[in-house]
Amino acid sequence: MAAIEAHQLTRHFGKLVAVENLDLEVAQGEVMGFLGPNGAGKTTTIRMLSGMIAPTSGYARVAGIRTDDPVEKLHEVIGLLTESPGFYNRLSASRNLEYFAGFYSQNDMPSRIESYLKIMGLWERRNDPVGTFSKGMKQRLALARALLPGPQVLFLDEPTSGLDPEAAEEVRGLIKKLSGEGRTIFLSTHNLTEAEQLCHRIAIFRNHLLALNTPERLRRQLFQRRVSIRLDKFNEAISEALKKLAAVKFFEHQENQLSLSVDNLEKDLPGIIQTIVFAGGGVLEVKEEEHSLEEIYLILIREEDKA
Amino acid sequence: MNWRRIRNILFKEWEDIFSDLNNILYVTLLPLLIIAEPLVVMWLVARFGGESLIANSLIQSAITNLSREIPSAAVLTDMQQFQVLLLSQFKFFLMLIPTMIAVSFATFSIIEEKQSRSLEPLLATPVRTSELLLGKALSGAIPAVLVCWACAAIFFVGVAIMGWGGLIPQVLTPSWYVIFFLLNPAVALLSFLLGVIGSSRAKDAKNAQNMILLIVLPVLVLIAIQIIGVVWFNLLLTLGLSIALFIVDYLTLRIAVNLFQRESILIKWS
Repeated sequence: MAAIEAHQLTRHFGKLVAVENLDLEVAQGEVMGFLGPNGAGKTTTIRMLSGMIAPTSGYARVAGIRTDDPVEKLHEVIGLLTESPGFYNRLSASRNLEYFAGFYSQNDMPSRIESYLKIMGLWERRNDPVGTFSKGMKQRLALARALLPGPQVLFLDEPTSGLDPEAAEEVRGLIKKLSGEGRTIFLSTHNLTEAEQLCHRIAIFRNHLLALNTPERLRRQLFQRRVSIRLDKFNEAISEALKKLAAVKFFEHQENQLSLSVDNLEKDLPGIIQTIVFAGGGVLEVKEEEHSLEEIYLILIREEDKA
Repeated sequence: MNWRRIRNILFKEWEDIFSDLNNILYVTLLPLLIIAEPLVVMWLVARFGGESLIANSLIQSAITNLSREIPSAAVLTDMQQFQVLLLSQFKFFLMLIPTMIAVSFATFSIIEEKQSRSLEPLLATPVRTSELLLGKALSGAIPAVLVCWACAAIFFVGVAIMGWGGLIPQVLTPSWYVIFFLLNPAVALLSFLLGVIGSSRAKDAKNAQNMILLIVLPVLVLIAIQIIGVVWFNLLLTLGLSIALFIVDYLTLRIAVNLFQRESILIKWS
């Protein structure tokens, strides 16, 4: 059974369509990246999936529970990291967590609070008022709060937004750790590097789903595979030989650096290398050119703009 | 309704409210001012021009009502009867205490959560709206009632110090106890529930405060009615009013839950 299922999930705000016909399945233990520009409907989607707001049409099921059922049951088994941490600044870190923990039915909350404060590196500051905490510390505390119920599914809305690079890296490290524990994580972000580092699959979203796949498959879906070959020297014979190869869709060179587009890299690359060597080229280095997630994202968003 | 969750809200609210010195000063100084007022009025009346006031037809009719309610007061002098009348008005002044505290605390109960962005994570827990609102209302109403009772004790000590201690037994009628132990908690809870409704519907703290100020008006009307003797709140009436108010409290909670639109609050405040 999927940990998260959305079927034709749609949400209108008056005439504005925030989310349109979202169909999505997230497997148990999967980290799903939800990418999109500001105003793309990411937060609205998270709020619908976490039962905080109702869809205009369609439905969703999270951890086997319909989000339109009485929400208390769903909230017992999910964790939500909201975009803003939201704490009681006059109260201490541990008192804040005790308060939120007091709404769940689990009995072992004191030990969980201690454990998460230690994991988040906040144990030494547990008695300090949250108002004295930095943004990064508040974000880590918010992550601890989201983890209190031992959630089967964790929704993270822009977890590193507004954090300095060091704090953002700390939070990413924690998300990786949680992913390692086999939790299902739904990560909304517009940080592409973060998504690439953390997510098994990525959904690119702007009010509706533009693409959904693993980062690798998204690359293949949008780009021909390219290989970069560094030669000791480039000559006309190499150029002529490559033109005759059907496997090479396109090539270009800059001094001794050759760049080729190939359909089936694994099958064709040995033949290409052999051709180059026979044409008198000495091969110094061969590597596949990677397309960044940013390129994929920008292509999809621009195509959407044109449409 | 899960009382463990309501208790959780209560303790957190108290901790949060009373960690702020301004709040402590507000719940102590304001009630002291409210009880000082009738004491000062009583002293002024006794000291200056009491007789001319007693001759007033409205006061005379109120004294007649008083004699009907408290037959033992009939043997007192006119001035003493007037003092008993003033003392008996105090029970209604007491009602101002929870309402005034509600204006301050309940105003911020939900608005503060919205402004600090703690409402969304709070609503992401299994807490029910009814638990949240009742917890918020009780967290203000319980201290308000306790402060109210403490103020009554201070008031009677003040009365005794001013030399009118002998009149106190005339005032402590069964209806006084009903007002003290039933009507006051009912008014306190209603004030805070209305305050929480205002706070959850308001756009900002100022807006909430303006809405909540309206709560004080019915209490002022009640005091005026009693003072001018239009209706004398005897035992039956106060008992009936208390029960009616508890029913209104329950209905108000239901209305508050319906008016608390989680979704629109989240969307408007994000």
